[in-house]
Amino acid sequence: MTIEIKNVFKTFGTYEALKGVSLKIEDGELMALLGPSGSGKTTLLRIIAGLDNPDSGTVLVHGQDLTKQAVRDRQVGFVFQHYSLFKHMTVSENVAFGLRVRPRNKRPSDEEIKRRVNELLGLVQLDRMAARYPQQLSGGQRQRVALARALAIEPKVLLLDEPFGALDARVRKELRSWVRKLHKEINVTSVFVTHDQEEALELADRVAIMNVGLIEQVASPTEAYDRPATAFVSEFLGFANRIDCKVNNGTAHIGGFDVPVDFGTYSGDAVAFVRPHQIELGRPNGHDIAQAKIDSIIALGPSARVDLTFGDGHLEVLIDREELSGLGLAVGDPCAITIRRAHVYKPN
Amino acid sequence: MDEIKHNDRPALRDPRWARLAIFVLGIGFLVLFVVLPLTTVVVEALRKGVGVYLKSLGDPDTQSAIRMTLSVAAIAVPLNCIFGVAAAWAFGKFEFRGKSILLSLIDLPFSVSPVIAGMVFLLVFGLQGWFGGWLREHHIKIVFALPGLVLATIFVTLPFVARELIPLMQEQGADEEEAARMLGAGGFRIFWSITLPNIKWALLYGVLLCNARAMGEFGAVSVVSGHIRGLTNTLPLQVDILYNEYNMVAAFATASLLAGLALVTLAAKSFLEWRFADQLALTRR
Repeated sequence: MTIEIKNVFKTFGTYEALKGVSLKIEDGELMALLGPSGSGKTTLLRIIAGLDNPDSGTVLVHGQDLTKQAVRDRQVGFVFQHYSLFKHMTVSENVAFGLRVRPRNKRPSDEEIKRRVNELLGLVQLDRMAARYPQQLSGGQRQRVALARALAIEPKVLLLDEPFGALDARVRKELRSWVRKLHKEINVTSVFVTHDQEEALELADRVAIMNVGLIEQVASPTEAYDRPATAFVSEFLGFANRIDCKVNNGTAHIGGFDVPVDFGTYSGDAVAFVRPHQIELGRPNGHDIAQAKIDSIIALGPSARVDLTFGDGHLEVLIDREELSGLGLAVGDPCAITIRRAHVYKPN
Repeated sequence: MDEIKHNDRPALRDPRWARLAIFVLGIGFLVLFVVLPLTTVVVEALRKGVGVYLKSLGDPDTQSAIRMTLSVAAIAVPLNCIFGVAAAWAFGKFEFRGKSILLSLIDLPFSVSPVIAGMVFLLVFGLQGWFGGWLREHHIKIVFALPGLVLATIFVTLPFVARELIPLMQEQGADEEEAARMLGAGGFRIFWSITLPNIKWALLYGVLLCNARAMGEFGAVSVVSGHIRGLTNTLPLQVDILYNEYNMVAAFATASLLAGLALVTLAAKSFLEWRFADQLALTRR
């Protein structure tokens, strides 16, 4: 099922949560809505679910306007941030709920429900927890119950609100790869909200990056990382050094390096973003384009983070530790730098 | 491994006299204000033997008062239960204008003297009241009859269920309800399978308190009942009348019934708590 969101606006009182959002999610795709808190990503997810109504705009699922359909007819699976499991029901009762509340003529028989619940609990690897209450489960287990419960209604679309937000790092990583595998298996069109970029980049087929009620870029994780469409995306996705620069005649001048830009006839101030691994270090040889001074070196496993003073600012450089020791540079030394790549944006 | 007992923690140990004083004060208060009056009621009721006790309870007027009290409670408590759940639902799950004003209005019956409540109903529905003429023409009796007693009781016991449920439902929010809705459940189903189980304990306490008060209410009921013996007297009114006639044994015998009802209520609550202790522990966060 494809999901098409067209020009959706939503305000809460005077606060504009969504300012004209359009997004198309392809059939079977796993899409991430990524953004800082207050960017409107959860509001958008709740509107797709039908838990909130947009002030204007439409949400089409497989060509049908969802905003005109009752929530119970939509067959949308929703996994809540804090799971919202039914406290007074056992795990299997929780999972069975969506099937039991169906109108009589569409409700499966008791044996069929039991079979399906067992099947789903097997899928989320919780067969042995069927008789437990949510209180007796760990966070990761509750999350999987919530997932099984959402899948029980055979949703056309699966929506997940910060699905791993409340879990500790190790469980989160485990669940993440598990969810990706599950998505491959059942292949239901899915949208999940997250503020964790690593999560979005690892899981999603495509990422919609949101900021203050607008979508800044929709792209595959690699595309968004390699070719960020806006300054916000550059800064938000992974760390990037921010360097003020000047543009004239279609060229940005960044600390002595020239990067061609496509700004038309614009000339004046601009900002450049350079990723830490896109700066090369070298021993100074007297005719370098740019020089910096090493403030600190921090070893991070196989690579090292080198902090530099460059002009009147700071730069962060990521370099292979072997390469660094080959150069023989130490804290306090001057060094030569080469900017291999930069993304340049006009100031807002 | 030795268990650390309270006494083994010198920092928490109070001097002996202080412990004794607090103990005596606490127990003394309880005995003086709860146990002693209750015992008095029973002792006075049985002063002239069990036979006289039973005979005074068998008095037709007292019998009528028992029926009246039970009828009033049987009507007022379910109505307030429905109102309380509806009000708590509205306050807990929705945001609307004037919410805080309504919220404090619910408390009004707690702060207004019950006598005033009775007077209000007299003023509105009494013979000389606003609707008195119309009601007489249509042969509807409200004041000095069961409907008046029920109205006054509802007013006085209005906050009990609602007050018990509102904070709970506000704290629970609408998360589970939303989840149920996403799974395709309809409004009634959501209420019945999700909301109600989550509030049932608070609801039970509310109903028990409401019931205790409904049976024991004196002031408001006294004004609207008209004290017609064997007709509109409830148990508390009957006690008052018997006492004023210096019929001590009958007064205390009737009073012992009321006290008994209160004790049964308490016992029921304790029993349910004991019986469902594990469930209670599970559903509480």
